[in-house]
Amino acid sequence: MSHQAAVLGVGTSSFGKQPEVPLAQLAWSAVQEALSDSGVDARGIEAAYVGSVLGPFGSAQRALQGLGIGRIPVITVENACASGTTAFHEACWAVREGRYETVLVLGQEHMSSRITGAIPPDLGDPEGRSGLALPGVYAMAASRYMARYGLTLRQLAQVSVKNHGHALGNSRAQYSGDYTVEEVLASPLIADPLTLLQCCPISDGAAALVVGRAAARRDAVRVRSCALRSGRAWGYRSEHAWGFEIVRETAEAAYAEAGLGASEADLFEVHDSFTIGEILSIEGLGLAAEGEGGRLTESGHTALGGPQPVNPSGGLLSRGHPLGCTGVAQLAEVTWQLRGQAGARQVEGARIGVVETMGGGVAGLDGNACVVAVLERP
Amino acid sequence: MTRRLPDPRPQVEIVAGRAHVVGQQCAACGLRTTLVVSACPGCRGELAPVRFGPDGTVWGSTVIRVPVAGRTPPYCLAYVDLDGGPRVLVHVKASTEPVAVGTRVRLRGDSGGDLVVELVR
Ligand SMILES: [Zn+2]
Repeated sequence: MSHQAAVLGVGTSSFGKQPEVPLAQLAWSAVQEALSDSGVDARGIEAAYVGSVLGPFGSAQRALQGLGIGRIPVITVENACASGTTAFHEACWAVREGRYETVLVLGQEHMSSRITGAIPPDLGDPEGRSGLALPGVYAMAASRYMARYGLTLRQLAQVSVKNHGHALGNSRAQYSGDYTVEEVLASPLIADPLTLLQCCPISDGAAALVVGRAAARRDAVRVRSCALRSGRAWGYRSEHAWGFEIVRETAEAAYAEAGLGASEADLFEVHDSFTIGEILSIEGLGLAAEGEGGRLTESGHTALGGPQPVNPSGGLLSRGHPLGCTGVAQLAEVTWQLRGQAGARQVEGARIGVVETMGGGVAGLDGNACVVAVLERP
Repeated sequence: MTRRLPDPRPQVEIVAGRAHVVGQQCAACGLRTTLVVSACPGCRGELAPVRFGPDGTVWGSTVIRVPVAGRTPPYCLAYVDLDGGPRVLVHVKASTEPVAVGTRVRLRGDSGGDLVVELVR
């Protein structure tokens, strides 16, 4: 027996550096909001799927213990930046296949207590050991795109201008602002050509979803499809930028399952950990042809008020990027949008929303994991 | 802990005064890599040891300007497509600006275990 999986309720903490707030407390605010939003009692949760990257181990059970949620199976997932959406992917399949009827998805991360400064490269990885910090991976892709496709610094900066502007309508976002392209380009260089305002911040936060059967509620947001892929060998003779092919393949699988294409989506929440990441994502998702992402962004197509807004929440750049939480926060945003509850940042008449998260860090792969999900309004 | 972790970076061999990087090539699909792997990442085929370099072309480049554990910024990095070989991550000697895509470079050896290239003039 197969069931239609759906999002029954969502909740999030606020996002930002919150070193004084324990991780469990961030998770409680997200889970309590999601439960209350869904109308499901905590006793009705049959399993929990939790995305978390930096841990510490046991943090999922610690958070759930404080809500009186115990004994049920708790599955903690690490898939780099796609951990939260990977947890969601597994939750959806569990509901579809009838393994459980109602489950909790939680994404949580407390970066400020786990690291100081930027994410330290993994010394067990050949490129990490050689000093390749994550901004560098994206920065080199940007340099390639500028040389190969004529992507301009102004087009890159426009992604940041747009997403910081979108976040003005999101009171839970870490940062927001009415920046100009010049201000973005004048912020300090992190890894050429990426400046500070083009890089996601270190954040703490949590987000939660109740996933169940679409028939459970009239306002259930249906999961039309969800696809998960890991990366392939990159760097032998791939002409594509790092991270492009994994997004494209995952998106193709998700669209095929949903029976629709990028042109039918009304909004997107995508992986803009760096400005070039959003360009690569919208191309991988088929919103722009390869090499055209910068021009599409500059045209206003992906801005709020445009035909297909990308990252109305402010994205990772502005809402923040608490690693394991991010994918669930993206899904919460799309759920609010599809229910018409996104307030000042509402995409009018949104019917179909797409979430894309991708994570990397393993040398020689074009990504560790990518998830693309297609959601439809009640 | 770090000290006991085997160094995963590609190894350099100097042959007749020219620097090469040690890697493997797949007999079945031709994939070339400097990664330490037990089967071909592309097709699971068998790999044979081979040397790559010293010349190549810059695929992309950046300068890291923020502190990274154990490093002093700024430092210039590039992905280089070695002629007939794989794409490798290198440090560009004495460069405080990114190197233009397409620039020809030559492996010079390693510095503290990092692959190092110089621009070919
Ligand atoms: Zn092979």
